[in-house]
Amino acid sequence: MEGNLNVIGYGLAAIGPAIAVGLIFAAYINGTARQPESRGMLQPIAILGFALAEALALFGLVLAFIL
Amino acid sequence: MSTNRPQPDDARRERDRAMSEKDAAAAWSVPAYLLSGMALYGGIGWLADRWLGTSWLVLVGVLLGTALAMYVIWLRYGTR
Amino acid sequence: MSPHVLAAGEGFVPPSVGDFWQPLIGDGALAVTRSMFLIVISVVLIYGFLALVTKNMSVVPGKLQYAGEGVYGFVRNSIAIDVLGKKEFLPFLPLLLTQFTLILLNNWFGVIPFIQFPTFSRIGFAIAVTLITYVVYHAVGIRRKGVAGYFKGLMPPGIPGWIAPFVYLLELMTFFITRPLTLGMRLFANMFAGHMLLLVFILGGEYMLLHGSNLFIQASSVGAFAMGLVMTFFEILVQFLQAYVFVLLTALYIAGSLADEH
Repeated sequence: MEGNLNVIGYGLAAIGPAIAVGLIFAAYINGTARQPESRGMLQPIAILGFALAEALALFGLVLAFIL
Repeated sequence: MSTNRPQPDDARRERDRAMSEKDAAAAWSVPAYLLSGMALYGGIGWLADRWLGTSWLVLVGVLLGTALAMYVIWLRYGTR
Repeated sequence: MSPHVLAAGEGFVPPSVGDFWQPLIGDGALAVTRSMFLIVISVVLIYGFLALVTKNMSVVPGKLQYAGEGVYGFVRNSIAIDVLGKKEFLPFLPLLLTQFTLILLNNWFGVIPFIQFPTFSRIGFAIAVTLITYVVYHAVGIRRKGVAGYFKGLMPPGIPGWIAPFVYLLELMTFFITRPLTLGMRLFANMFAGHMLLLVFILGGEYMLLHGSNLFIQASSVGAFAMGLVMTFFEILVQFLQAYVFVLLTALYIAGSLADEH
């Protein structure tokens, strides 16, 4: 079996951020569903949380390529 | 057709449209900014590595690029 | 599609990147490949469909006109008006409609029987469509604001002075390199991976059925074919979604170029 251990590492590393992004947007949808007027206030927080979680996933991808 | 619907609040519709456009733009731009930050400053770090003969500047570049990309995301989408 | 499975006796050869190169006339750099034929056929089909739809238009639509209006209304309302706004969407609507129908039909070629090859799984086609978007959204911004104004408008507001050059470099890279790259790559990678997935399941199932060494393997090829069926339906959805996302992002980038402030 050929392949690269890097990619297995990336696959394992992507589990956490995927769950995290799901949780963040589940909270955003919940908050907007309970009170639609709060959508504008929650949106920057959701985007920031998404950026932080996604950074780790992309980090794993970049390191899988360069190391 | 949908354009013949009576529109009770045109200004609010424009605001909703602007906000959902900002949503969609943000969702796709965040990974793009992160990736380009890592790639650009990682690349600069890699070139600096080759020039100076060190081996760790690549990692420093990637980390700096991530931080900078997160700062830009905060500027563009983090505050209203 | 299954010539390498005919070489039985040397075990199952899994599908690979080389399976996507299917020259029909000639070989090498000037070959006319299957995807070239497919894209020409798709253009003829789209033109024929739209011409038929608009030929005898009436206020109360018949079935064909209803279908055509459905596609047009979808692109116009959900994408163009929602993203670009009522005042500015009209010059870009032909581009968006063309891209949407072209990408959609070519994607769906991946699951239509006897064709079964999504043209955008060859990267040249994805590059071509991305180039058009790339040129358009830069040209629009430069025409609206002038070259200097366009480049100045790339900066987000409110940055302390010393960090500005780094941020500006990052913004430049995003606008000029990363955005077209991710746009084209998203379409290409989705189509390529989807087709590869279908190939693995169906060819694997065929190999298991016809060349399986015992009855258990031959019986479990049903599972492979069932997965192939499930993935086909999933692929239909993914192909539609990819066409939608491509056109949505094109509209978003154009809207971003046209924006007066940021």
